[in-house]
Amino acid sequence: MLAILRPDSWNFPLFLHVLGAMVVTGATAAAFIGAVSSRRWPWLRLVVARTLFLATFPAWLLMRLAGQWIDSKENIPGDPGWLGVGFLVGDAGFVLLIVAMILGAVSVRRPQRSWPIGAVAVITGVYFVALVVAMVAMTGKPGS
Amino acid sequence: MDRYHWLLIFHMAGAFMALSGATLAGIFNIAALRRERPSEIVVLYRLTRIAVVSVLAGMTVALGFGLWLVADLDFVKWSDAWVITAVILWLVANALGGNGGRRDRRARELAERLAAEGDQPSPELRSSLRDPITLAMSWGSGAVVIVILVLMIWKPGH
Repeated sequence: MLAILRPDSWNFPLFLHVLGAMVVTGATAAAFIGAVSSRRWPWLRLVVARTLFLATFPAWLLMRLAGQWIDSKENIPGDPGWLGVGFLVGDAGFVLLIVAMILGAVSVRRPQRSWPIGAVAVITGVYFVALVVAMVAMTGKPGS
Repeated sequence: MDRYHWLLIFHMAGAFMALSGATLAGIFNIAALRRERPSEIVVLYRLTRIAVVSVLAGMTVALGFGLWLVADLDFVKWSDAWVITAVILWLVANALGGNGGRRDRRARELAERLAAEGDQPSPELRSSLRDPITLAMSWGSGAVVIVILVLMIWKPGH
């Protein structure tokens, strides 16, 4: 049960934002689990690279653009901390996911090197935790 | 933060675990459909178990805290059509996911057997992985959870 009282016109962008956030969280977890498991099964590197490119990044785009859309409608007064956390995690995700996608592709092209997929595991692990923190902050809206 | 927001955080955390877990399962399922060697398919099925745990825990937490929210809030009633529909769809999603998972288990057991017997690609395993009823149940379960999300946001009739 999401926030109870809101104009109907906010529903569609909110739905896209929440759906994008859920999918980006799951796809980031998939990339993390695949990257960690690829130490034992190196062929998983291709699964990780495809997941980042075809699932994680498109879902991030949906979450971020729909978030901007609903922010333009809500016109939230002041600059509450929970909103700042959401923007920080959202915008940092762009850089982190671009780097992870490049390293994921490198790990497939240069299978003899193990550090790129290791770095993908670290980046996706950190970003997964950041997404969970953002979910808690944006749902609980502490301080508002 | 007040009690409403704490309950909402746990309710949303459950919903996130369910839909993120479904995404995770979907990604490994698609990856399994693209592989030929039984041993690789077995690995992807094992990784999918993490997703199944996330979905089951998330569905339980989301329902539990969702019902607590209904009991706690004055302006949401047990008789609201969107609340009743969401609970029915929760049952439908679990039934579909459970049946799809049971049918998937047969494909996993076949993959494990083939992996132990030479690890060669098999048309039987391929057709088992692509069984349309199993795929419809598993992916349909995820689609029903998305419909529940729609109900939670729009709350038709409220």
